[in-house]
Amino acid sequence: MRTSNPAFPVRNTSLCLDINGHKTDIIISSYEDHILVMATQIGSMGTILQASLRDLETVVALNFRKEGGVTTDPTYSISVVFGKRDEPMLIACARQLIEHISNSGSSKTLVLSLGLRDHSLGILKTIVSAVTEKLAEVI
Amino acid sequence: MEQIKTENDGCQSDGVQLTCFSEESDGDVLLHFQIIRLRKQIYVWIGCNSASFGHLYAALPTRPSNAVGVTSLIGGSSDNTGFGIARRLVLKTGLNVVLACNLPKNNPMLEASAEKKLLHKLISLGYTKPQI
Repeated sequence: MRTSNPAFPVRNTSLCLDINGHKTDIIISSYEDHILVMATQIGSMGTILQASLRDLETVVALNFRKEGGVTTDPTYSISVVFGKRDEPMLIACARQLIEHISNSGSSKTLVLSLGLRDHSLGILKTIVSAVTEKLAEVI
Repeated sequence: MEQIKTENDGCQSDGVQLTCFSEESDGDVLLHFQIIRLRKQIYVWIGCNSASFGHLYAALPTRPSNAVGVTSLIGGSSDNTGFGIARRLVLKTGLNVVLACNLPKNNPMLEASAEKKLLHKLISLGYTKPQI
C-alpha cells in the first residue's frame, strides 16, 4: 500500500490485522477538523458513523481542562449516518474512539466506518484497541 | 469467553490501496486528492487549499436502470459541489463511491477541473469499470 507523502496535508496511517481468520484493514486519516477511521473486512466501508463533541461549550470546556482548570466532563453526540442503525455495539465503538480522541486533547469530529462480518463485543474491542494505538501517529 | 485471535504480521493488505496527490488548478488554487480503493467501493476526498473534511456524500449505480442514487451523509445538500461530482463519477465509472469534498459552491470551473483530474487519475490507476 502506498502511503501519503509528508507534504500532503492529510496524515494517513494504516494496518492490517487478522481477526479470527478474517483479514481486517484499518485506515486512519487525519484532516484539519475530522478524523476518518475505516475498518473493513467486507471490501466496502459498511456502516458509517459520526461522533463529535456535543457543542461549542464542550469544546471550550475541553480547552479549559487542557489548561488545568476544573470542569465537567465533555458530552458527545454519536449517530449512524449510513448503514445499520440497530447495532448498539457500533455506536459503543464510536463512543470509545471519540472519548479517546477527546482525551488526547483533540476536538476533531470522528467519522468511523465499520464494514465487519460480525459485530461481537470481542471483535469491536480488538478494533478499538488497535485503532487507539495507531491514533497517536496522526492526532 | 470468546477467543479473538489476531495476528499483525504476514497480513497482506493488497485489498486496500491508498493514493494521495495534489495538483494546482487555474489560478492559485491547490487541489488535494485522496483515494482509498476497497474491493467493492472507492472513497475519495477532494480538498481545496485546505485539509478540511468538507461534506460527505454516497453515490452508487441503481441497476438495472442507468440512474445513479446519490445522497449527502454529513453536511451538504444537492446544490453543493460534491453532490454533482459524486453523481457524475458514478455515471462515468460505474463504481460505488463515497466522496468527501470541501470545494466551494458556485465555482463550476473549479468543480470541472477537480472532477477531470480525479477521473484521469482513477483511469490511470485502473480503478474504473466499463461505463454503465
